[in-house]
Amino acid sequence: MSLIKGVVEVLDPIGLHARPASQIVKLVKESGLEIEIGREGEEFAKANSALRLMSLQIKPNEKLTVTVATDDSTLGQSLIAQIQEFLKG
Amino acid sequence: MSLSEGAVLAGLGVGLISAVGEVHVVKPAAALPEWSKDGGDADAKKVALREAIDAVSKHLDELGEKAGGTSAEIFDALKMFLEDDELIDMANDAIDEGWSAAAAYGKSVDTFGELIGGDPTFAERVADLQDLSKRVQAHLAGIELGLELPETGSIILVGEDFSPADTAQFTPAVVGVITTKGGPTSHTAIICRSRSIAAVVSCAGAKDLADGDLVLVDPVGDRVVLSGDASLATKPISFIAVNDKPVIPVRANIGTLNDAEEAAKTDAEGVGLFRTELLYLSAATAPSVSEQTASYAAILTAAPVGPIVVRTIDAGSDKPVPFLNMPHEENPSLGVRGFRLIVEHRSFIEDQLRSLEAARQQTGREVWVMAPMIATLDETKQFAELARSIGKFKVGIMVETPSIAALVDQLGSVVDFVSIGTNDLSQYLFAADRMNPSLGALLNHWQPALIRTLARIAAGGENGGFSVGVCGESASDPAFAVVLAGLGISSVSVSRSQVAAVRNALESLNLGTAKEIANKVLKATSAEEAKAIALDALASL
Repeated sequence: MSLIKGVVEVLDPIGLHARPASQIVKLVKESGLEIEIGREGEEFAKANSALRLMSLQIKPNEKLTVTVATDDSTLGQSLIAQIQEFLKG
Repeated sequence: MSLSEGAVLAGLGVGLISAVGEVHVVKPAAALPEWSKDGGDADAKKVALREAIDAVSKHLDELGEKAGGTSAEIFDALKMFLEDDELIDMANDAIDEGWSAAAAYGKSVDTFGELIGGDPTFAERVADLQDLSKRVQAHLAGIELGLELPETGSIILVGEDFSPADTAQFTPAVVGVITTKGGPTSHTAIICRSRSIAAVVSCAGAKDLADGDLVLVDPVGDRVVLSGDASLATKPISFIAVNDKPVIPVRANIGTLNDAEEAAKTDAEGVGLFRTELLYLSAATAPSVSEQTASYAAILTAAPVGPIVVRTIDAGSDKPVPFLNMPHEENPSLGVRGFRLIVEHRSFIEDQLRSLEAARQQTGREVWVMAPMIATLDETKQFAELARSIGKFKVGIMVETPSIAALVDQLGSVVDFVSIGTNDLSQYLFAADRMNPSLGALLNHWQPALIRTLARIAAGGENGGFSVGVCGESASDPAFAVVLAGLGISSVSVSRSQVAAVRNALESLNLGTAKEIANKVLKATSAEEAKAIALDALASL
């Protein structure tokens, strides 16, 4: 299986807080795919846990890399785009 | 033991309202078990944990449904935390290490609490998580948390005593409260008085009441009667106002803007106690002088016509203000509280006085300021000089410690007024912890030692030329307010729900009669006798 990669930016003025984290986890669970989020160069967190995402302590305006494990690149890109939406605040 | 119809249980009445309803017994929540490695079957423990999480989740669904609308989203978010995949994985790992299911979940929540807790934006989320953790652990241990009270009907709650967390859950169905412990100045008593809920406290016999018993809560008669007959309620003495002014002014106690607005709808002559700490208890950082000034100006504007007596911050380690960073103490009520905070937090107290002065100038109201927890003449002078250097206030102190009560005759040239906090004065005079529910009877305001102490303070004020007010719960008892007037107290300040009743009592007689009654009461040798003497005398007015 290939890994679809994309970069998202946290535009929410409070950073990656409880609501966007919950929205992302819900999306990830519905997709049934393995999705990870993190800062480039650091360990990534599995996006099936809101607590894990919140523990990354991501601040406003940080750029994050999202990886989706799928061969369907259209689906992968669409999921990344939706995650970006959640981070607009 | 079951009680028979008509049985009478003695206690201490709170307020004047009686109520009939069905008993709802509240058992004290047992403590959560200590975390341990219990070594049981790991798979069985994982199943038990999952079941506990599901049960709490279902409960959150119910709460969400009840709340509806946007609140339902909050409960959805809580569920997401509760059932978080990594949280459950971590807990299952801890179970594999031998920890009990409750310990495993609790420890995992602690770990995440630390991971996300470094960020102040998440402080409330961490508190939510810890609450969920307690619910899961309680479910695993078979402990009931929360009161689960019906919304409709007429129920009489019966329990040892009720904490602020309990009283916050009272529903409109709670028409009466009976505690087996807890005195007249307990949190339960104060809340019931302010919400006009019928209450009898220190009623040891109530332990034999059972769910569904129909009882009459009869605070005026200091009793509970096993009967559904409301007509058995003791009638409060019906004071007939003969004068259009009370013999001494009746002011209102307030703590918030809403209190000030509500108090202004009563006949209160100003405010006799403005508890300022409520403005700070939920603030994470010290509010600026301009923020404080705005809050105070709004409250001063809304307050009932008359002087407004403001008490500077009365916090302690039991009532901590987050930004003052108060260390834990063994005996908070005997610790660094009230004016004693000036040693570490002088600038905060100065800012408070500055804000009050700015608000006073903006609103043109007459502001009196007083400091709580003053024990020596030196502290009195220190506060008086500070307050006078900052603003045009009348300056005074609270008389709560027996030490300052003994020095009242030396206060004459230092203060313009004093105000007696009878709740704390009783606690310190009788060495009886207000928080200890077994000591309620010692805190009864009819205790002769308290009444005699009040008489001495009143006489000290008269000789020294300063006014002596009373702002404790005792003044909310109309019969006691008459005794206070007779002792020479110059004003009383009461919960706003009691203003009309206390005023009415003080309009029903002249000062000479009040003095005669007080002189008789001063001869009593027990609290029961003191109250009986006063009620007899008042009944024959």
